Amino acid sequence: MKNRKLLGIFLTLAIMIGLTSCTSPKQAETKNKQIEKNETVTNIVFWHHYNEQSNENKVLMEILIPEFEKQNPDVKVEAVSHDWADLHNKALVAATASNLPDVIRVDSAWIPEFVDADMLMALDEEFEEFNSVKEGILTGPMDTANVKGHYYGLGLNTNTKILFYNTKLMGENDVEVPKTLDEFFEAARNLSSEAAQKIWGYGEPALSGWNMLPFIWSNGGELLNEDNSKAEGYLNSEANVELLSKFAQLYKDGFLSGFNSGDIPMTDGFAQGRYAMIIDGPWKYAELQGGHADFTDYDATTMPAGKNGSIQVLGGEDISISRNANKEAAWKFVKFMTNEFAQVEMGKAGQIPVNKKALENAEITSIKNYKVFLEAIKTSRARPAIPQWSELDQILTDAVTNVVLKGADAKETLDEAARKMDEVLR
Amino acid sequence: MLKKIAKKRKIKKEYWQVTLLFLPGVIFFSLFTLYPIVKLFIMSFYEYKIGALKESTFVGLHNYIQVISDEISQAAVVNTLIYALITVPGQIVLGLLIAVFINKLSKAKVFFRVLYYFPVITSWVIVSVLFRYIFQNEGYLNYLIFSMLEVEPVHWLETRMSSLAVLSIIGIWKGIGWSMTVFIAALTAVPLELYEVAEVDGSNSIKNFFYITLPSIRNTILFTFVMLTIGAFNTFTPVKLMTDGKPLHQTEFVLTWMYKNAFEFRNMGYSAALSFTVGLLISIIAIIQFNYFKKA
Repeated sequence: MKNRKLLGIFLTLAIMIGLTSCTSPKQAETKNKQIEKNETVTNIVFWHHYNEQSNENKVLMEILIPEFEKQNPDVKVEAVSHDWADLHNKALVAATASNLPDVIRVDSAWIPEFVDADMLMALDEEFEEFNSVKEGILTGPMDTANVKGHYYGLGLNTNTKILFYNTKLMGENDVEVPKTLDEFFEAARNLSSEAAQKIWGYGEPALSGWNMLPFIWSNGGELLNEDNSKAEGYLNSEANVELLSKFAQLYKDGFLSGFNSGDIPMTDGFAQGRYAMIIDGPWKYAELQGGHADFTDYDATTMPAGKNGSIQVLGGEDISISRNANKEAAWKFVKFMTNEFAQVEMGKAGQIPVNKKALENAEITSIKNYKVFLEAIKTSRARPAIPQWSELDQILTDAVTNVVLKGADAKETLDEAARKMDEVLR
Repeated sequence: MLKKIAKKRKIKKEYWQVTLLFLPGVIFFSLFTLYPIVKLFIMSFYEYKIGALKESTFVGLHNYIQVISDEISQAAVVNTLIYALITVPGQIVLGLLIAVFINKLSKAKVFFRVLYYFPVITSWVIVSVLFRYIFQNEGYLNYLIFSMLEVEPVHWLETRMSSLAVLSIIGIWKGIGWSMTVFIAALTAVPLELYEVAEVDGSNSIKNFFYITLPSIRNTILFTFVMLTIGAFNTFTPVKLMTDGKPLHQTEFVLTWMYKNAFEFRNMGYSAALSFTVGLLISIIAIIQFNYFKKA
């Protein structure tokens, strides 16, 4: 009896010790790292969201990191792959625990938010070389890392959207590839048909900033003032009211679809000839080739130009150094990832380079699908770099949905949305 | 006297042992349940900022006032309540009916039990995606309606009430198996003698059901009632995957709105306040349910 009780207590203790000791291997690991740091080799941790099964990750692990370590024998890189959305949340959590990796690949839209959470290092303040490195990279992607005059990262890769169109439907309906916004709206009308299977001239998967800003900007409108502090007078400008009314009319007449919960998904709808035109990013090529290899009747061109030219929205990633990083080693790695060699290698794996020299490299210029994107990127613009962006984006989406879907008055709705945005910006 | 002391010592010793045995559970409960709840409660009074060096500002009841006056959170609560009002009785009534029938079967009991339990073990994600295919504008259901009745297709996922109807149907379909299993367990515990006696008194099966079965499993019904109501308030996956609150937040549920605020807009304080407001609401509903059943 006594033995049994003793055994019980012993087991309980054993379980407790077992459970609490789960954390110890990691602690040991960091200790090891510290020991190594004191010696000649510096370890840096790099978090990214290259998909583990992807070509890009293969390039990173098998070409780039070995090459970097060869050039810098005193630095070792430990790369950790995360899911895109996971990386965002994990980085925020790591920040609260002061446990950030040295280098992070950041979706350019997250930069202001991460800066607001005090997670990133201002590179222009820390490194003398910064300006010369910056010169080698396209301005658009560099601007995504700029918050209030300081740069919190280097552009790493970029993307934007272009107009994909169904060549067969264009031919059947005698429609020319639209060059201007007016021609585009006209084409959307003429490409639609009410036959047995309805065809929509234009498919748009959502009504958020990513989708609407290209139209707003190209049409000569703005969302906010120059320093992103005010929406009144900009969001509700006459140009935007006119544009939104046109969009609403297009939907009302049945020439526009795709953003409702029950609609046909973009890639399927485009490949099946149900959407005659869509506007999307470089990944659309891979999706079309992957899921609809037999569909080849399509081509692509840049966003139709409005009063202000053809302005698309800029996507892509930056590479940033965290606040508590191992400064010098991290800077070496960040510089390496944005140099011509690394950018060309990544470019071949599907990541559009931002290094100016890499963009002129024959290996990149010969990639057929990049051509239109590279042209579009020259005139594309980043979304406002402010920490409140997701909230503003929601206000914009709600306003556009209200006008397009519910037929609300464009002027009144945009006035109200501008008021709400100013409240958030205050 | 000596005996008493010995006994006392023994009790004391047992206390120690019991405490030790409790400890792991208590530690885990405090660490992963109690602490987060307390922290969340504190958070709900702050404009909470993420970031090690960020100061969160105390805003008092501001978050709660916003939650209560916000049209979208009101709509989210109403939607969730409607969903609960449809799915909870739906699951209980259908689950109970099926349980009674399966209980009466002499053969293939296990087969039917497994059959009805299948939706329960299927992943919510898979179910949501499949049902989306069924209910989308050019989905299977509209195809069926069109080819059989030649009527205009219904845009199921594009208006508030039709979306709620679709979500409720899925909720009931997926939940029947669980309530059925609980009811079968309860039914087997009802003493057979009661039915035998009733038969002698000339009762029939419908009377048996209302006067013997139902009263005997009253506690189980109460249990499923409370559990399912709480479950209804925890609905997230199907809404997120099928409508994501669209159009214009009209199909937003409590959890989807909470999620959006916390992880998309980083309004942690607002989300915390919303979760406590809803928690209070659920508690009130549960208390009412308990009291009602006690009286009935």
